[in-house]
Amino acid sequence: MPRNRTVRLAVLGSSVQRAAPSGFPSSRSSALKRRIVVGLLVLASLVLITVSFRSSALDGVQGTGATVLRPFEVAADRIARPFADTIGWFRGLVDAKHENEKLRAQNEALRRQLILDEGALQENVQLRKALNFVGPPSIADFDKVHTIVVANSQGAVDESVVIGAGTSNGVQTGSVVVEPLGGPDGSGALVGTVDRVFSHESRVTLLTDSESAVTATDVTNPSVIGAVRRGGGSSDVLILDRVPKIPVVRVGDTIVTAGSLGTGPLKSKFPRGIPIGTVASRSASDTTLFQNIQLKPLVDFSSIQNVVVLVPKKGQ
Amino acid sequence: MDGVKAALVLFVAVLLQLSVLTEYRLFRTASIVLVALLSIALLRGSIFGAVAGFMTGFLLDTGTLGTLGITSLLLTLGGFWIGRYGETTARDRFHAPYVSVAVVTALYLFGQLVLQFMLGEPAPAGLVAHGVPGALVLNLILTLPVYALIRRLFPPLELGDRIREVRLLG
Repeated sequence: MPRNRTVRLAVLGSSVQRAAPSGFPSSRSSALKRRIVVGLLVLASLVLITVSFRSSALDGVQGTGATVLRPFEVAADRIARPFADTIGWFRGLVDAKHENEKLRAQNEALRRQLILDEGALQENVQLRKALNFVGPPSIADFDKVHTIVVANSQGAVDESVVIGAGTSNGVQTGSVVVEPLGGPDGSGALVGTVDRVFSHESRVTLLTDSESAVTATDVTNPSVIGAVRRGGGSSDVLILDRVPKIPVVRVGDTIVTAGSLGTGPLKSKFPRGIPIGTVASRSASDTTLFQNIQLKPLVDFSSIQNVVVLVPKKGQ
Repeated sequence: MDGVKAALVLFVAVLLQLSVLTEYRLFRTASIVLVALLSIALLRGSIFGAVAGFMTGFLLDTGTLGTLGITSLLLTLGGFWIGRYGETTARDRFHAPYVSVAVVTALYLFGQLVLQFMLGEPAPAGLVAHGVPGALVLNLILTLPVYALIRRLFPPLELGDRIREVRLLG
């Protein structure tokens, strides 16, 4: 068979010759186009990473983009909410009866505890006044900005949420974020801190992020001081680290932020007394200096809907 | 027309990912965006996949207020690679979307980890490694309905439109 004829042409016996070996111009141009496009896109991505990571030049663009996206995200959430509520309702039915009995007993115990706590609180206020005591800041020293969670975290590497409040609401980098309910003053357990602020949105690094840590103490034993951070495994478990073996920590104790005043400019940014979690387990071995304390967080970090951001009071 | 359809599909996928899917603990490691993007890339080729990946990544990084470009880079490469796979090898094979999603899910997670590490950000390799099996299973489960839907929206191109480089030798 002549070299310039294809197999098919030879079989068909056609005398039509195959096109001259022109080097497959269309294929080559297609491959070239493909390489140019992907190369430009990769280059654009690298430029974006560099500019975004090293400067705040793109913050305006990103903030505007997030503001534009926000109504769509809220709409998607509202559309999905009834389905989520239905699933939650059916799931709740399974153990509702057992939980009801347990909660009734817990309610009684808490009612008695509340009466005791009220008395202690009044006494504490009077003693502080009498002594002119200057302690670490409390939640009452901050204004509260109530806002919604716009977007949730993206996975194991990124434990953060986007909230719908920013610099226009007084939010700053480092502002403390708590749950809206639970505490005596309408604020709940610790959620995390703000790490990026835009005009109308902010990103909150959750307490379960591997970069988060907070000085904490035991409500029933203030001599216990340690650092709460994420444990090695699931984000459902936090650990209270750096607690020596001597102070007694019991399973079920509530752990709250210590709010240390510190010495110098590096005082804790967390007000004292924000609940974090309860002690789930405690152990100690002869080979370590510290106790192994695991906490069960009071916040369900996988389904945060609303938060409260603690911002400095106006005029401070 | 395909571009508009792809933009709409991926925009909806991003909204679902940010506002709905991540609210459920079970689905937190799943990525409907990745599955949708790979399905589109498989059916429409490498250039389409790369451009769609870049735009989708930009949208995701904007929505999460993350470092711009990280997700774009990973999704551009993912879209491009799977697009090439669709153009050359995969064609109409049944297993193509599942293989694509499985491979790119693992590479995407580890790629994200490597980029975080290179930028000096926390890169918990153990957590990512633990999350890979869950993410694989969930993404593979999502592939069945998502690919079926996207295949209806983006009918496979005729062979002549897609294969331009395979030539007979002899």
